[in-house]
Amino acid sequence: MRGINRMRYRETGQVHMDFHRTTNGTIAYLRRQYGQEMVDTVLRRMARDVYRAIRSDLMAGNPESLVEHWTCFLEREGGEHSVERDGDSIRVVVQRCPAASYLQGRGVALDAAFRRQTTVLNSALAEGTPFEVITEVLDDTRYIETVRRRRP
Amino acid sequence: MIPSDHFVRFYNEVFKVLDELGSNHLEEYWRELGRLQSLELSQRFRDGGLQACYDYWANIVHEENCEADVELTADYFECRMRRCPSLSKVQDNDAGAFERYCDHCMAWVEPVMQAAGLYAVMDMQSRSEPHCVFRVYRDPESARDFENAAKLLSKPYDRMEVAGC
Repeated sequence: MRGINRMRYRETGQVHMDFHRTTNGTIAYLRRQYGQEMVDTVLRRMARDVYRAIRSDLMAGNPESLVEHWTCFLEREGGEHSVERDGDSIRVVVQRCPAASYLQGRGVALDAAFRRQTTVLNSALAEGTPFEVITEVLDDTRYIETVRRRRP
Repeated sequence: MIPSDHFVRFYNEVFKVLDELGSNHLEEYWRELGRLQSLELSQRFRDGGLQACYDYWANIVHEENCEADVELTADYFECRMRRCPSLSKVQDNDAGAFERYCDHCMAWVEPVMQAAGLYAVMDMQSRSEPHCVFRVYRDPESARDFENAAKLLSKPYDRMEVAGC
Protein backbone atom coordinates (compact mmCIF):
# COMPACT_ATOMS: atom_id res chain seq x y z
CA MET A 1 0.00 0.00 0.00
CA ARG A 2 1.43 3.35 -1.00
CA GLY A 3 1.55 6.37 1.31
CA ILE A 4 -1.55 8.31 2.25
CA ASN A 5 -2.28 11.87 1.13
CA ARG A 6 -2.84 14.39 3.88
CA MET A 7 -6.51 15.23 3.91
CA ARG A 8 -6.80 17.76 1.07
CA TYR A 9 -9.35 20.11 2.63
CA ARG A 10 -8.82 20.69 6.32
CA GLU A 11 -11.33 23.29 7.45
CA THR A 12 -11.19 25.26 10.67
CA GLY A 13 -13.25 28.01 12.26
CA GLN A 14 -16.99 28.38 12.59
CA VAL A 15 -19.21 25.70 11.00
CA HIS A 16 -22.02 27.29 8.99
CA MET A 17 -24.72 24.62 9.17
CA ASP A 18 -27.22 26.66 7.19
CA PHE A 19 -25.34 25.75 4.01
CA HIS A 20 -27.21 22.43 4.24
CA ARG A 21 -30.40 24.35 3.61
CA THR A 22 -28.99 25.71 0.33
CA THR A 23 -27.68 22.27 -0.64
CA ASN A 24 -31.18 20.87 -0.07
CA GLY A 25 -32.76 23.74 -2.05
CA THR A 26 -30.27 23.34 -4.88
CA ILE A 27 -30.85 19.59 -5.14
CA ALA A 28 -34.60 20.25 -5.20
CA TYR A 29 -34.22 22.91 -7.90
CA LEU A 30 -32.01 20.79 -10.15
CA ARG A 31 -34.29 17.78 -9.78
CA ARG A 32 -37.42 19.81 -10.48
CA GLN A 33 -36.00 21.66 -13.48
CA TYR A 34 -33.77 19.01 -15.05
CA GLY A 35 -34.39 15.65 -13.39
CA GLN A 36 -32.41 13.38 -11.09
CA GLU A 37 -29.68 12.75 -13.66
CA MET A 38 -28.64 16.40 -13.46
CA VAL A 39 -28.18 16.16 -9.68
CA ASP A 40 -26.14 13.00 -10.14
CA THR A 41 -23.99 14.68 -12.81
CA VAL A 42 -23.01 17.46 -10.39
CA LEU A 43 -22.30 15.00 -7.58
CA ARG A 44 -20.19 12.76 -9.82
CA ARG A 45 -18.16 15.77 -10.95
CA MET A 46 -17.68 16.75 -7.36
CA ALA A 47 -16.40 13.26 -6.54
CA ARG A 48 -14.11 13.20 -9.56
CA ASP A 49 -12.72 16.75 -9.45
CA VAL A 50 -13.15 18.24 -5.98
CA TYR A 51 -12.25 15.00 -4.20
CA ARG A 52 -9.49 14.04 -6.62
CA ALA A 53 -7.04 13.40 -3.76
CA ILE A 54 -9.38 10.89 -2.09
CA ARG A 55 -9.85 9.05 -5.38
CA SER A 56 -6.15 9.08 -6.00
CA ASP A 57 -5.56 7.39 -2.63
CA LEU A 58 -8.26 4.81 -3.35
CA MET A 59 -6.65 4.09 -6.71
CA ALA A 60 -3.33 3.65 -4.91
CA GLY A 61 -4.96 1.09 -2.61
CA ASN A 62 -5.50 3.27 0.45
CA PRO A 63 -9.00 3.94 1.86
CA GLU A 64 -7.85 5.86 4.95
CA SER A 65 -8.21 9.37 3.56
CA LEU A 66 -11.81 8.60 2.61
CA VAL A 67 -12.51 7.36 6.15
CA GLU A 68 -10.76 10.41 7.59
CA HIS A 69 -12.83 12.66 5.32
CA TRP A 70 -16.08 11.03 6.50
CA THR A 71 -15.24 11.13 10.20
CA CYS A 72 -13.57 14.55 10.28
CA PHE A 73 -16.63 16.38 8.95
CA LEU A 74 -19.10 14.32 10.97
CA GLU A 75 -17.12 15.35 14.04
CA ARG A 76 -16.97 19.01 13.02
CA GLU A 77 -20.74 19.05 12.61
CA GLY A 78 -21.53 17.01 15.73
CA GLY A 79 -22.80 13.96 13.84
CA GLU A 80 -23.02 10.89 16.07
CA HIS A 81 -21.13 8.02 14.50
CA SER A 82 -18.86 5.06 15.14
CA VAL A 83 -16.16 3.36 13.09
CA GLU A 84 -16.00 -0.43 12.83
CA ARG A 85 -13.10 -2.27 11.23
CA ASP A 86 -13.29 -5.89 10.18
CA GLY A 87 -10.51 -7.18 7.94
CA ASP A 88 -10.33 -4.93 4.88
CA SER A 89 -13.81 -3.59 5.54
CA ILE A 90 -14.28 -0.21 7.28
CA ARG A 91 -17.80 0.79 8.29
CA VAL A 92 -18.83 4.24 9.45
CA VAL A 93 -22.19 3.94 11.18
CA VAL A 94 -23.91 7.32 11.30
CA GLN A 95 -26.54 7.39 14.03
CA ARG A 96 -27.49 11.01 13.45
CA CYS A 97 -26.68 12.76 10.21
CA PRO A 98 -25.95 16.39 11.12
CA ALA A 99 -27.25 17.76 7.80
CA ALA A 100 -30.64 16.04 7.93
CA SER A 101 -30.99 16.68 11.67
CA TYR A 102 -30.24 20.38 11.21
CA LEU A 103 -32.87 20.74 8.48
CA GLN A 104 -35.49 18.72 10.34
CA GLY A 105 -34.86 20.81 13.46
CA ARG A 106 -35.78 23.91 11.48
CA GLY A 107 -38.85 22.44 9.87
CA VAL A 108 -37.24 22.28 6.41
CA ALA A 109 -38.65 19.41 4.34
CA LEU A 110 -35.85 17.22 3.01
CA ASP A 111 -35.95 16.93 -0.76
CA ALA A 112 -36.73 13.40 -1.93
CA ALA A 113 -33.18 13.17 -3.29
CA PHE A 114 -31.38 14.80 -0.36
CA ARG A 115 -30.36 11.50 1.22
CA ARG A 116 -29.23 10.18 -2.14
CA GLN A 117 -26.33 12.69 -2.31
CA THR A 118 -24.23 10.42 -0.07
CA THR A 119 -24.92 7.30 -2.12
CA VAL A 120 -24.06 8.96 -5.44
CA LEU A 121 -20.94 10.69 -4.10
CA ASN A 122 -19.66 7.47 -2.54
CA SER A 123 -20.28 5.39 -5.66
CA ALA A 124 -18.51 7.97 -7.81
CA LEU A 125 -15.56 8.14 -5.42
CA ALA A 126 -15.03 4.39 -5.75
CA GLU A 127 -15.51 4.23 -9.52
CA GLY A 128 -12.44 2.83 -11.26
CA THR A 129 -10.66 2.07 -7.98
CA PRO A 130 -9.95 -1.29 -6.30
CA PHE A 131 -12.58 -0.40 -3.67
CA GLU A 132 -16.33 -0.38 -3.49
CA VAL A 133 -18.28 1.91 -1.22
CA ILE A 134 -21.66 0.68 -0.07
CA THR A 135 -24.07 3.23 1.35
CA GLU A 136 -27.02 1.85 3.31
CA VAL A 137 -29.62 4.52 4.01
CA LEU A 138 -31.58 3.39 7.05
CA ASP A 139 -33.81 6.45 7.35
CA ASP A 140 -33.52 10.23 6.93
CA THR A 141 -30.87 10.62 9.63
CA ARG A 142 -29.17 7.21 9.85
CA TYR A 143 -26.93 5.57 7.33
CA ILE A 144 -23.92 3.27 7.06
CA GLU A 145 -20.96 3.81 4.75
CA THR A 146 -18.71 0.81 4.09
CA VAL A 147 -15.50 0.88 2.11
CA ARG A 148 -13.90 -2.43 1.24
CA ARG A 149 -11.86 -4.04 -1.51
CA ARG A 150 -13.96 -5.18 -4.44
CA ARG A 151 -14.77 -8.86 -4.28
CA PRO A 152 -13.71 -10.93 -7.30
CA MET B 1 -23.20 14.01 3.09
CA ILE B 2 -21.66 17.04 1.53
CA PRO B 3 -20.07 18.74 4.55
CA SER B 4 -21.28 22.29 5.11
CA ASP B 5 -17.59 23.23 4.90
CA HIS B 6 -17.61 22.00 1.28
CA PHE B 7 -20.86 23.59 0.22
CA VAL B 8 -19.21 26.33 -1.85
CA ARG B 9 -17.23 23.74 -3.80
CA PHE B 10 -20.53 21.98 -4.59
CA TYR B 11 -22.07 25.34 -5.53
CA ASN B 12 -19.10 26.02 -7.82
CA GLU B 13 -19.73 22.74 -9.67
CA VAL B 14 -23.45 23.54 -9.99
CA PHE B 15 -22.55 26.88 -11.60
CA LYS B 16 -20.22 25.18 -14.07
CA VAL B 17 -22.75 22.52 -15.10
CA LEU B 18 -25.57 25.05 -15.56
CA ASP B 19 -23.35 27.47 -17.45
CA GLU B 20 -22.32 24.68 -19.82
CA LEU B 21 -26.01 24.39 -20.74
CA GLY B 22 -26.07 28.14 -21.43
CA SER B 23 -25.67 31.23 -19.25
CA ASN B 24 -29.48 31.63 -19.13
CA HIS B 25 -29.67 28.35 -17.17
CA LEU B 26 -27.26 29.68 -14.58
CA GLU B 27 -29.04 33.00 -14.36
CA GLU B 28 -32.41 31.28 -13.87
CA TYR B 29 -30.92 29.38 -10.93
CA TRP B 30 -29.53 32.59 -9.48
CA ARG B 31 -32.95 34.23 -9.87
CA GLU B 32 -34.50 31.36 -7.93
CA LEU B 33 -31.97 31.87 -5.13
CA GLY B 34 -32.79 35.58 -5.16
CA ARG B 35 -36.49 34.78 -4.95
CA LEU B 36 -35.99 32.50 -1.97
CA GLN B 37 -33.68 34.94 -0.20
CA SER B 38 -36.18 37.73 -0.81
CA LEU B 39 -38.86 35.73 0.97
CA GLU B 40 -36.54 35.40 3.93
CA LEU B 41 -34.86 38.80 4.04
CA SER B 42 -36.51 41.59 2.06
CA GLN B 43 -39.12 42.48 4.68
CA ARG B 44 -36.43 42.59 7.35
CA PHE B 45 -34.37 45.04 5.27
CA ARG B 46 -37.44 47.05 4.23
CA ASP B 47 -38.44 47.48 7.87
CA GLY B 48 -34.98 47.86 9.38
CA GLY B 49 -33.17 49.69 6.56
CA LEU B 50 -29.40 50.07 6.65
CA GLN B 51 -29.21 49.11 10.32
CA ALA B 52 -30.82 45.74 9.50
CA CYS B 53 -28.28 45.24 6.70
CA TYR B 54 -25.47 45.99 9.13
CA ASP B 55 -26.85 43.54 11.71
CA TYR B 56 -27.31 40.80 9.12
CA TRP B 57 -23.83 41.06 7.60
CA ALA B 58 -22.11 41.51 10.96
CA ASN B 59 -23.50 38.08 11.83
CA ILE B 60 -22.55 36.60 8.45
CA VAL B 61 -18.97 37.85 8.87
CA HIS B 62 -18.76 35.83 12.08
CA GLU B 63 -20.67 32.72 10.96
CA GLU B 64 -18.90 32.37 7.62
CA ASN B 65 -15.38 33.12 8.88
CA CYS B 66 -14.97 36.27 6.79
CA GLU B 67 -12.11 38.67 7.24
CA ALA B 68 -14.14 41.79 6.71
CA ASP B 69 -15.06 45.18 8.13
CA VAL B 70 -18.67 46.26 8.30
CA GLU B 71 -19.56 49.91 8.67
CA LEU B 72 -22.77 51.88 8.98
CA THR B 73 -22.82 55.54 7.97
CA ALA B 74 -25.68 57.98 7.58
CA ASP B 75 -25.70 57.28 3.82
CA TYR B 76 -24.81 53.66 3.37
CA PHE B 77 -23.96 50.30 4.85
CA GLU B 78 -20.60 48.90 3.73
CA CYS B 79 -19.05 45.44 3.92
CA ARG B 80 -15.39 45.63 2.99
CA MET B 81 -14.22 42.08 2.47
CA ARG B 82 -10.51 41.61 3.01
CA ARG B 83 -10.57 37.85 2.57
CA CYS B 84 -13.71 36.23 1.24
CA PRO B 85 -13.96 32.67 2.61
CA SER B 86 -16.19 31.60 -0.24
CA LEU B 87 -13.88 32.54 -3.13
CA SER B 88 -10.86 31.46 -1.09
CA LYS B 89 -12.29 27.96 -0.70
CA VAL B 90 -13.34 27.73 -4.32
CA GLN B 91 -9.81 28.65 -5.33
CA ASP B 92 -8.35 26.15 -2.87
CA ASN B 93 -10.00 23.42 -4.84
CA ASP B 94 -8.71 20.71 -7.16
CA ALA B 95 -11.73 21.31 -9.41
CA GLY B 96 -10.80 24.96 -10.08
CA ALA B 97 -13.00 28.03 -9.71
CA PHE B 98 -15.87 28.93 -12.05
CA GLU B 99 -14.88 32.18 -13.76
CA ARG B 100 -18.07 34.09 -12.80
CA TYR B 101 -18.16 32.67 -9.28
CA CYS B 102 -18.18 36.08 -7.56
CA ASP B 103 -21.36 37.13 -9.36
CA HIS B 104 -23.49 34.64 -7.40
CA CYS B 105 -23.32 36.99 -4.43
CA MET B 106 -24.84 40.02 -6.16
CA ALA B 107 -27.19 37.64 -7.97
CA TRP B 108 -29.14 37.07 -4.76
CA VAL B 109 -28.41 40.41 -3.07
CA GLU B 110 -29.74 42.53 -5.94
CA PRO B 111 -33.29 41.09 -5.98
CA VAL B 112 -33.45 41.15 -2.17
CA MET B 113 -32.50 44.84 -2.07
CA GLN B 114 -34.83 45.73 -4.93
CA ALA B 115 -37.69 44.11 -3.01
CA ALA B 116 -36.62 46.02 0.11
CA GLY B 117 -36.50 49.38 -1.70
CA LEU B 118 -32.72 49.71 -1.23
CA TYR B 119 -29.84 50.01 -3.72
CA ALA B 120 -26.92 47.60 -3.62
CA VAL B 121 -23.60 48.04 -5.40
CA MET B 122 -20.85 45.42 -5.48
CA ASP B 123 -17.35 46.38 -6.52
CA MET B 124 -15.68 42.98 -6.95
CA GLN B 125 -12.33 44.71 -7.59
CA SER B 126 -11.01 41.43 -8.99
CA ARG B 127 -12.41 38.01 -9.89
CA SER B 128 -9.24 36.25 -8.89
CA GLU B 129 -8.50 37.87 -5.53
CA PRO B 130 -10.84 37.25 -2.60
CA HIS B 131 -11.67 40.83 -1.69
CA CYS B 132 -14.47 43.22 -2.63
CA VAL B 133 -16.46 46.19 -1.40
CA PHE B 134 -20.23 45.96 -1.10
CA ARG B 135 -22.48 48.90 -0.23
CA VAL B 136 -26.20 49.39 0.26
CA TYR B 137 -27.75 52.85 -0.14
CA ARG B 138 -31.14 54.34 0.48
CA ASP B 139 -30.57 56.96 -2.20
CA PRO B 140 -30.25 55.76 -5.83
CA GLU B 141 -28.12 58.74 -6.88
CA SER B 142 -25.52 58.00 -4.21
CA ALA B 143 -25.53 54.36 -5.27
CA ARG B 144 -24.91 55.41 -8.87
CA ASP B 145 -21.95 57.59 -7.81
CA PHE B 146 -20.37 54.62 -6.04
CA GLU B 147 -21.13 52.43 -9.04
CA ASN B 148 -19.37 54.88 -11.37
CA ALA B 149 -16.27 54.82 -9.18
CA ALA B 150 -16.16 51.00 -8.97
CA LYS B 151 -13.18 49.12 -10.32
CA LEU B 152 -15.09 45.98 -11.37
CA LEU B 153 -18.86 46.05 -10.95
CA SER B 154 -20.85 42.88 -10.42
CA LYS B 155 -23.88 42.90 -12.75
CA PRO B 156 -24.86 39.24 -12.85
CA TYR B 157 -27.95 39.72 -14.99
CA ASP B 158 -26.39 42.06 -17.54
CA ARG B 159 -24.61 39.33 -19.48
CA MET B 160 -21.42 41.28 -18.98
CA GLU B 161 -18.25 39.88 -20.40
CA VAL B 162 -15.88 38.38 -17.90
CA ALA B 163 -13.17 40.95 -17.58
CA GLY B 164 -10.61 42.15 -15.15
CA CYS B 165 -9.27 38.71 -14.20
